[in-house]
Amino acid sequence: MYLEVNGITVLYDRAMVLNDVSFHVDKGELVSLVGPNGAGKSTLLRALAGLIRWEKDTLKGTTLGKITLEGSVLFGGEEMMRLPSHDIAKRGLILCPERGRPFREMTVLENLEAGAYLVKDKGVVKETIDRVYGLFPVLDKRRGQVSGTLSGGERTMLSIARALMSQARFLLIDEPSVGLAPLVKEDLFSRINQVHGMGITILLSEQDIGFAFDLATRNYVMSRGKVIAEGRADDLLADELIRKTYLGL
Amino acid sequence: MLERILVNGLVTSGTYAVLAVGFSLIFGVAKIFNMAHTALYMITAFLIFVGTNQLGFPYALSAVVSVGATIGFGLICYALLFDRVKVHQTAVMIISLAVAMLGQEILLLTLSGHYRGIAPFVTGSIDILGVAVLYQHLFTVLGCLATLFGLWALLTKTNLGKAIRAVAQDSETANLMGINVSRVCLITMGISAGLAAVAAVVAAPLEPLHPGMWMLPLTMILAAVVLGGLGSIKGSVFGAIILGFAETIVVTAVPGGSFLRGAVSLAAMVLVLIARPEGLFGVVFEEERL
Ligand SMILES: Nc1ncnc2c1ncn2[C@@H]1O[C@H](COP(=O)(O)OP(=O)(O)OP(=O)(O)O)[C@@H](O)[C@H]1O
Ligand SMILES: [Mg+2]
Repeated sequence: MYLEVNGITVLYDRAMVLNDVSFHVDKGELVSLVGPNGAGKSTLLRALAGLIRWEKDTLKGTTLGKITLEGSVLFGGEEMMRLPSHDIAKRGLILCPERGRPFREMTVLENLEAGAYLVKDKGVVKETIDRVYGLFPVLDKRRGQVSGTLSGGERTMLSIARALMSQARFLLIDEPSVGLAPLVKEDLFSRINQVHGMGITILLSEQDIGFAFDLATRNYVMSRGKVIAEGRADDLLADELIRKTYLGL
Repeated sequence: MLERILVNGLVTSGTYAVLAVGFSLIFGVAKIFNMAHTALYMITAFLIFVGTNQLGFPYALSAVVSVGATIGFGLICYALLFDRVKVHQTAVMIISLAVAMLGQEILLLTLSGHYRGIAPFVTGSIDILGVAVLYQHLFTVLGCLATLFGLWALLTKTNLGKAIRAVAQDSETANLMGINVSRVCLITMGISAGLAAVAAVVAAPLEPLHPGMWMLPLTMILAAVVLGGLGSIKGSVFGAIILGFAETIVVTAVPGGSFLRGAVSLAAMVLVLIARPEGLFGVVFEEERL
């Protein structure tokens, strides 16, 4: 198993946001994590990327920093829960945060260069920039534009491109399709497929079940901080209880 | 009088600009509102004074050692004090203010409150377009320009600079690029202290030294930084230029102006802020986070 998550529990003060979550992703898979608002998808991805620990450390001494974080995350056989987030990124496990979170005062190109922070070889950086421009031509067109003025879809693409710049091997993509128009969604769908085709393992969270199920080979359904079902799209859709209660179909 | 205003204005605004960008930098990156920033400037100035006037070292040697010592002191303050209370911004302000006052008291005890002076690094003057400009003035202005240019090059051209800007804009996301945020903050503190020290190296011979000399520049750079837009480096430079010239014009052209130097510049700041609360270069993007 490439990524093996065991018993992740997160409490903000007394509020339990993740309750003993376990799952796994194999090398080369594209797995989706679906569930309604507030199910804990973002929190889970942030925990995998080390951001909950970072949040806990930086907010220590305030009420917001009263965070409990437990469990184990094995990535490539190595325990990630002990590593600071920048070291997790170094291992090639990279989060594309909700809404992309570009460095807003930097241009698109500068964002990509920031993504390549870990790559010391200038030649590799240039090559990767060309590659991500090939994958997302719209970013090439906007390379000199300050990223704070990008559209929602462009931000999402930039965040994926930025993650690819650091030679990611495993992408955690948080709600890529949120707020996008149907055509943009379709475009993004095929881009994510292409990224997957490059041999990169992907775990993506989604509220749009159609988008997630069409894209992914396997899915996890989350609800109220727990993983409550796992399976292929057909099986999950066939299950009446899951359909009605958790997927809202 | 016009040429006086021009030369003195450049000297004053150059010094304020170097001080203001250093302040702005550490605030933007680590959210440290460092009230001791100009105290670092004062410490360097006094260390140079001790080096040149009391120990008889050449200016350049005293300057290099003083800059190094100031950076070290800044890093110690950061690691031991500021970093630990960083989440509470008011605590950072109060602690750094205490550091500044402590520095003042220590100087008072060790060197007394007398006004001191450092001999100019270079003496004599040069004729530029019919105006006699002191070499010291030229040194200050060129030194400030070179420092600002160096900082710009560092921030835009180097990998470290890109990391610093990334942390300033979104420290959480910077983590995801593999950037060690706490290390970047520490390095930035070193750069910030270094900038305060360099301002002293180029400008201290122009100023009477005394243990209260950190206060006026602190007021002025706070005003410059707010005027330019808190967190904007470019804004800090422009704010410093505007306030530096405003101060110089008042001091040179208004009778009794040296008593008004702070007041008029601060009034200029207030007027700009009423018209544009985010400051001249403050950027406000629509809030995207939920
Ligand atoms: N910093 C925080 N402090 C307190 N509660 C939090 C914090 N962050 C998240 N939560 C709570 O945790 C729960 C899960 O949030 P999370 O953002 O992980 O959900 P999500 O599944 O990503 O939802 P969405 O689809 O709306 O993005 C929510 O109820 C939220 O209010
Ligand atoms: Mg979410």
